[in-house]
Amino acid sequence: MLLVILFTVLVVNSCQSKKNVGRKKVAIIVSTLNNPWFVFLGENAAAKAKQLGYETKIFDSQNNTALETDHFENAIASGYTAILFNPTDADGSVSNVLKAKEVGVPVFCMDREVNSTEAATSQILSDSYSGCVALGKYFVRQLDKKGKYVELLGLVGDNNTWNRSKGFHEVVDNYPGLKMVAQQSADFDRNKAMEVLESILQAHGDISGVFCGNDAMAMGAYQALVAAGKDKTVKVFGFDGAEDVINAIADGKVSATGMQFPKVMAYTAAGFADEYFKGRRDFPKKMPVAVEMVTKEKIKDYTAYGKKNQ
Amino acid sequence: MKKGLKYLFGIIVFAVLAVNSVYFRKLDERKASSSKFDAKEYAKSYFNTKLKPSLSNAVEINQLMSFLQSNKEQTFEKYAHALGIGNIRYFLVKGEGIVTSINENDVSVLAKADTARKAIRIATEFVFGNAIRDASGKIDVNEFSNTMDFNSVSSEINKIVRAEVLPRFKANVKKGDTVQFAGAVELNKEHLSVEDIELIPIQLKIVRSQGQ
Repeated sequence: MLLVILFTVLVVNSCQSKKNVGRKKVAIIVSTLNNPWFVFLGENAAAKAKQLGYETKIFDSQNNTALETDHFENAIASGYTAILFNPTDADGSVSNVLKAKEVGVPVFCMDREVNSTEAATSQILSDSYSGCVALGKYFVRQLDKKGKYVELLGLVGDNNTWNRSKGFHEVVDNYPGLKMVAQQSADFDRNKAMEVLESILQAHGDISGVFCGNDAMAMGAYQALVAAGKDKTVKVFGFDGAEDVINAIADGKVSATGMQFPKVMAYTAAGFADEYFKGRRDFPKKMPVAVEMVTKEKIKDYTAYGKKNQ
Repeated sequence: MKKGLKYLFGIIVFAVLAVNSVYFRKLDERKASSSKFDAKEYAKSYFNTKLKPSLSNAVEINQLMSFLQSNKEQTFEKYAHALGIGNIRYFLVKGEGIVTSINENDVSVLAKADTARKAIRIATEFVFGNAIRDASGKIDVNEFSNTMDFNSVSSEINKIVRAEVLPRFKANVKKGDTVQFAGAVELNKEHLSVEDIELIPIQLKIVRSQGQ
């Protein structure tokens, strides 16, 4: 009798492990989980991949390319068959993607790009430039084409930082009445942005606007302005569509942001991975996702990280 | 004395090394200089050989309004272009109309076609963004190794319009003039609003001046 029970248990266990071996695994490697926007991106990618029937795990690179390399090596060694990837550095992350490619693991970039058209299977990216051109036009109108302003940049190694800055300056630099008194990186970080702006305000207390490369920095900048008693006179502009900034726009604390659609990017990347497993190979190398400007006048159409009824 | 000379020599060597080992450049200059792509040349060629010829396929603005009213989905499918996913779409449009006002940032025109009349604004100040680049559907993002190069093309195309198309038009246009226009219009597919149409111009011509 004991032997029969033992045999049954063994048969059941072996069937279960076979089932696990057959189930494909999708790794989600995200630049940082210290920013709610990237948490939302990573969780949505994982949720969609799970819904499509895959086992998933989220890895946090903590904005560190070396840690990102470890995650790639671990993911490949642990048998992950696709990687949904949010890179830390446009140049520095290329070798990680190539490593995966060498062993036949497709990589789908989300939101941030790597500087190679050959490495990733596909890159689904926000059209940051266009979004910031729209913000630039609004900025010029809001400041009435004159005044001093500050620009807070994101991570210097990320293309999004420069696409956003370039889109903004494409418009603003045509107005000699608008003078940029400081341009500094705050690494897309809220606390760093607050510290950087506090320090800038010591020397330039007469600014009229602050353009920030993301919403976390916009909130940090706003905090610095509140502390300096200048939040009513200095206009703040962000980029992302994060929850606190959407609320701040509704309350009139922040002037505008560029709404990205992380859920669209995450779902598209997970969907592409699913199609890859089913045999599709003709993916667009780059897939831009439109960014929409959100102001107080248009706030009713939007919610955090996307459109209402999205 | 010898010791003093030694210190002086040491200080000079240190100062020379320090001056030569540190230099300051603006962050955006550093990034700009890393690209070898000639966006200006590419934009010039694209503007003349692809964009201008494609204006013959532009849809007349009153016709576009009528198509949108009767079948939005089909009209976006047939006439709009965009390079990826999302609600922002660009149309290549053309038309003729009477100038109704000259404003700080644009020129208002009442575009006429048969009995149809559509009021639009022709941007004369804020000619920026990807509308002109993308409206023809003749450019592919995958030809470019990074999006910064791709966006530089937009920047250079817009410069061509601001330098070659707008100055003469702005200097001569008057209320009551009849003008022919062709350019790009951005519309949001999900939240479609056609009340305030802004045209980013590619070609502008004053065909009958009020003063003549």
